[in-house]
Amino acid sequence: MTYRHIGKDFTPPDIVSKVTGKAKYSEDFQVDGMVYARLLTSPMPHGKVKNIDLSEALAMEGVIGVLTADDVPPSQAPNPAILTNEPVYVGDPILAIAAVDEKTAEDAISKVRVELEPLPFTTSPTDSLRPGGPSARTEGNVFIQREMSQINWSDEDLQRFLDGKEPTGEAPTEWSFGDLEAGFDNATVVMEESFVTTGYAHMCMEPRSVLSYWQNGKCHVYGSTQSQSFVVPSLAEQLGIEQKDLVYVSEFCGGGFGSKIASYPVLALPGYFSKKLARPVMLRITREEEFYVGSARVGFQGWIKAGFKADGTVSAVDLYIVQDLGSQGTGGDASSAGGAVSILYQPDAMRLRAIPVLTNTTPRGAQRGPGQNQIAAIFEPMLDKAARELGIDPLEIRRVNAPDSSARINANQGPVTSAYMVEALDKGGELFNWKERKKRSGQRNGSKVTGIGVGQGYHSAGESGFDGLVRITPDGKIHLHSGVGNLGTYSYVSTTRAAAEVLNCSWENCVVEHGNSALHLPWSSYQAGSNTTFTHTRANYMAAQDMLTKIKEIAAVTLGGAADDYDVADERVFNTGDTTRSMSYAEVARRSIELGGRYSGAEMPDDIHQVTQRAVQGLAGSGLIGVAKDVLPVRGTVPGLAVAFAEIELDLETGKHEIIDYLAVAECGTVVHPQGLAGQLCGGAVWGFGMASLERHVYDPQNGLPANVGYYQCKPPTYLDVPREIQTAAVDIADPDNPMGARGIGEPAMGCATAAVLCALSDALGGHIFNRTPVTPDMIINHLAKQPQSYAKLAMNTF
Amino acid sequence: MEIVQHKNDIWGQEVLLGVSWDLLWLVVVASFAVIIVHLLVMALRKRAEQPATEGTRLNRHAKSDRIFHWVMAISTLVLLFTGILPIIGVKFGWLTIHWISGIVLTASVLFHIVRALFWQDPLSMWVAPKDLREPFDSSQKPGKYSLAQKGMHLAMTLVVLVVIGSGLVMLSLIDTPFWTRGAWLGEGALGWVFVLHGLSTLALIALSALHIYFGVRPEKLFYTRSMIKGWISEPELEAHHDPARWMPDKIV
Amino acid sequence: MSAHDVMPDIELYQPITVEDAVALAERHGENGWLLAGGQDTYGWLKDRAKHTSAMIDLNAIDALKGIRELAGGIEIGALTSLTEIQNNSSVVAKFGLLAEAVAHVASPQIRNMGTLGGNLVQDTRCWYYRRGLSCYRAGGNTCYANTPEGMNREHAIFGASRCVAVTPSDTAPALVALEAQMVIVGPDGERIVAAEDFFVGPNVDIRSMTTLETGEVLTAVRIPGKWATSEYYFEKVADRNVWDFALVSVAAVMKLNGGNITDARFACGGVACVPQRLPAVERAVIGKPRNDETGLAAGAIASNGAVTLNYNHFKVPLIENLVRRAVRG
Repeated sequence: MTYRHIGKDFTPPDIVSKVTGKAKYSEDFQVDGMVYARLLTSPMPHGKVKNIDLSEALAMEGVIGVLTADDVPPSQAPNPAILTNEPVYVGDPILAIAAVDEKTAEDAISKVRVELEPLPFTTSPTDSLRPGGPSARTEGNVFIQREMSQINWSDEDLQRFLDGKEPTGEAPTEWSFGDLEAGFDNATVVMEESFVTTGYAHMCMEPRSVLSYWQNGKCHVYGSTQSQSFVVPSLAEQLGIEQKDLVYVSEFCGGGFGSKIASYPVLALPGYFSKKLARPVMLRITREEEFYVGSARVGFQGWIKAGFKADGTVSAVDLYIVQDLGSQGTGGDASSAGGAVSILYQPDAMRLRAIPVLTNTTPRGAQRGPGQNQIAAIFEPMLDKAARELGIDPLEIRRVNAPDSSARINANQGPVTSAYMVEALDKGGELFNWKERKKRSGQRNGSKVTGIGVGQGYHSAGESGFDGLVRITPDGKIHLHSGVGNLGTYSYVSTTRAAAEVLNCSWENCVVEHGNSALHLPWSSYQAGSNTTFTHTRANYMAAQDMLTKIKEIAAVTLGGAADDYDVADERVFNTGDTTRSMSYAEVARRSIELGGRYSGAEMPDDIHQVTQRAVQGLAGSGLIGVAKDVLPVRGTVPGLAVAFAEIELDLETGKHEIIDYLAVAECGTVVHPQGLAGQLCGGAVWGFGMASLERHVYDPQNGLPANVGYYQCKPPTYLDVPREIQTAAVDIADPDNPMGARGIGEPAMGCATAAVLCALSDALGGHIFNRTPVTPDMIINHLAKQPQSYAKLAMNTF
Repeated sequence: MEIVQHKNDIWGQEVLLGVSWDLLWLVVVASFAVIIVHLLVMALRKRAEQPATEGTRLNRHAKSDRIFHWVMAISTLVLLFTGILPIIGVKFGWLTIHWISGIVLTASVLFHIVRALFWQDPLSMWVAPKDLREPFDSSQKPGKYSLAQKGMHLAMTLVVLVVIGSGLVMLSLIDTPFWTRGAWLGEGALGWVFVLHGLSTLALIALSALHIYFGVRPEKLFYTRSMIKGWISEPELEAHHDPARWMPDKIV
Repeated sequence: MSAHDVMPDIELYQPITVEDAVALAERHGENGWLLAGGQDTYGWLKDRAKHTSAMIDLNAIDALKGIRELAGGIEIGALTSLTEIQNNSSVVAKFGLLAEAVAHVASPQIRNMGTLGGNLVQDTRCWYYRRGLSCYRAGGNTCYANTPEGMNREHAIFGASRCVAVTPSDTAPALVALEAQMVIVGPDGERIVAAEDFFVGPNVDIRSMTTLETGEVLTAVRIPGKWATSEYYFEKVADRNVWDFALVSVAAVMKLNGGNITDARFACGGVACVPQRLPAVERAVIGKPRNDETGLAAGAIASNGAVTLNYNHFKVPLIENLVRRAVRG
């Protein structure tokens, strides 16, 4: 199908301000009487505040006031607190001080004397699970079914797990399908591996700085979040106010990656502080603090057993994961990892067992492909190892397992809306010239050896049931109201193009309203989980359909005839039988105000969310309103799939590798925004390279101090660590459950890259797999020098 | 002036760091002051006739004791210089010399303790009540050791044992060819060890200064000679000691 | 120990002559702080892990800048930017080793701001120390890195003495290999120190990585003509290719005659508190052809005397490999 807007590049409205520096991120706002807050954070991994001596700090000139844990609502463990008297990780905020400027606030912070009583702490889940082991929180060490509880394994259970034997320790999360035993019986090759993946920081370039003030009973918050409308309910709750009393502005977000999906504790802090001081409060988070409060990925310590039939098809998978939730976490990663395995390899039988354990490290949250990408880093190299044993080409073993539209997913083995992984593999294989390149595998060039790898990524990529809102004003402008946050993918705008498509209007006449709840924005999904493209092309489509119906009705009422006699083009509605009977959109808008009712927004559908209701109320009478909840059917999980190919050169003398060539192929239905998709595939690739071989999460287990609280210590990839060019492509086959055929892609774009690089490294090393992320030069050197690795087998938080 | 220094431990809590080295100057000044005062007092006093060095030579210190004394003296001085010079800004690779000297000192002290307790007469160094009359009664003469010598020995014993004890703890916390550093001591306790080592070092500086000063004073020089050559003369014995309490063997 | 990330109040002095800078440095003593490119300075001060009351900004002293020809060699002002050195035709032509080492420092932005002097006197990157902990190097009485479970992947394999920190400098090994001389001006006038003696290990001074005394200013680096246009090799292995510190680096210069090495100097970064000279390697390669066989033999002895910690034993094969590569060319 050819579209006017879908599948075409365009200039998103925020591009120019971003590249010229005019874009206002939260810390760029200034209001009269604003004061500056700074945090005092915990120096120890777990402790109890015994006494706080503020006398010296508060006596300083320019200091306005202090906010402590006693001024904010307490949090229920393991949710992170806004401020706490029982810090559970190094960097946990204890109090904030406001002053006329940041220097004075920091000077005051250094004058505060906090007396802390150390409590037992741990930086490793398995350390906490041992008999009598330390618990990260006084309430317990595990978080199961939204409850804190205590689990300790026996010494024997722990030792088995640490030795890489089939785990026997209690694992409260368990699901399975199929006959596992039969699956392994049918296998020609059975792999059994234990593994560790690092739970490293999100490292958002924009720290989560916030400005808040109160005006006319409303709390105004300027924050940095991935989502816009989705933040409103959670932030209002955190502030203890009604949604209608919150004005939330987040026009730009300098990176969230899963850590800024909904409200987060420090987003509410200036609201409380501002209320206490009756002054606007700006809280700028330092880079180091961002590594604390900015959260990190969930780390895995795990064991996996997988059976492969002679043709390479996966017959059974038994997966066991100990999750490091840090001091706070959702623990969804393990189940998501299981889900990814279930769809990507379509095993006949599978079991997942998991235990989420708290540690006194940075809070954990969703991070780009939470669970799916960790397991991609482990399963894909193992798949290659199996292929090697079976004498099957790595691309072929993926083909024989690849999901198609009849694929089944998750514990319930539910359907998917559609899937074309074979097509993705084939397209990539062809573009990458896989067969020819694979011949170079293992080829030596001096100290360098070539490795070729292919990797796959998955994430569910679509939601439904959210709202769309469009409006035509009497000046003829089409206002596309987007409650979608501007997290850097341009989905806040690209999804509105579905509405422009339906309304058959020129893009120049469209105005995208976003980034400020005062602009009357509809209820939106969370900008995470790769869902927005699928979810909001649907919502915008629905709102535009509502608008289209209303335009035709107004034309019929005004010009005579039936609504069905009318069609739209070039911002006009016209009678298909007599094109001279027509009205411009501007005329339609004016007429709608006269007509009132559901046309002007005076009336609205019952099923829309209260956020959308308030938006429509705010807009009522200003033009023609199209508003609808997405009630289109969804027949299964919406899969986002991606395949990546990498050629690397590994220097056997230095342990360093160079990515010579990289290609990512998206299987995300119809491409909505080619440049946006390329951006996601490139960004995902860079993230993936980082996870594969660079990014770290290092804690000293003796004292709970983090070694990486700066970019140079965490080592995200730099410009010279990634290939000069990253090739991208897309399968571009429409998904039947989206009116535009689109699905999401953001997260699998990373998992496939991690997998491809790790598989290429393994290929260069003749098939050796490390079962660990990241794979760093020291590991490779130790391996090649036949030295033991410096970390214990399943140790967490090491280099 | 602070006596001790504090630092923040790994969790930002205040703990002891060690002795305040400002005290070093205090100790040096005080030691010199005592010496100068003593010099002045002695200069004003009428000079006593020095007993003749001729005559029968009597054995005061066995060879092994003399060797022990000088080994201990040298190692102590090396320890003091290697320990103090870096603090006052003279930079060199001091640590290895320091701990090796420390082991030499420890070994010689151990040797001396065992020998003195089991093969010698430990009571000869014991301060008895009647020794306390010595300073006030010129007719009261000591046995082998004067009260001042006994006092110096007692103080040295105490200080050296503390410096050795704390030093051995510190030695266990650095790498040597024989072991890698331990981490068995918490930062709070470590601070106390440093304070003890520092305080005993300061005391050792003062005691060493006084010991050396008295060792080179004209009227005491014969003791130093006896520590080098082993003997004193009969006149010296008669002038300074009570032969009834201590009658050394003649050197044949 | 909080991450303050805000500059405290500091008095700023901007002398325009070396004499004035030295006078200021002497006057302020321990409280003074010499500022060059600021790339090491600002982190310390904003984190408030180190403190100063008087910042002596050397950037207005023209005499400290620029590259001058010297009989056979060159003199580089300590305030010369790394970018300028990297692009200087004389440096590139005569001392390619230095040009290459400079090009591997940090990132282009940091090289634009950073100076040669600053790169040489920058403080170690031991993460415990950088956190502002009161370790030996910070005047404390313990080392947190060399502990039974300490995280010390980046730490020393040579010359540790209580402190196990390593030199972070990329230019220092190159200048030690080139037998450069450090020109230091202090209250008592000028003194010249060989690069090799300029850097000191924790056994000599656990608080400072150089012999610079309070009140002294490193004004220039002189590179004698001895190694001009000699064969050289530089390689830095770091996790990342930009903005990272060496896990191990090697800087080597060699003279060849009739196909055999007649003279050689090797210095390694990232393995000791000072640029680690490898005299045994130098002796082993003299008289041998510059090939892989010689390299393999030289590499094998490069790690002699290494003492590894919990996480850094990879540096042993790595230094062996890098020396092998340096010899092989």
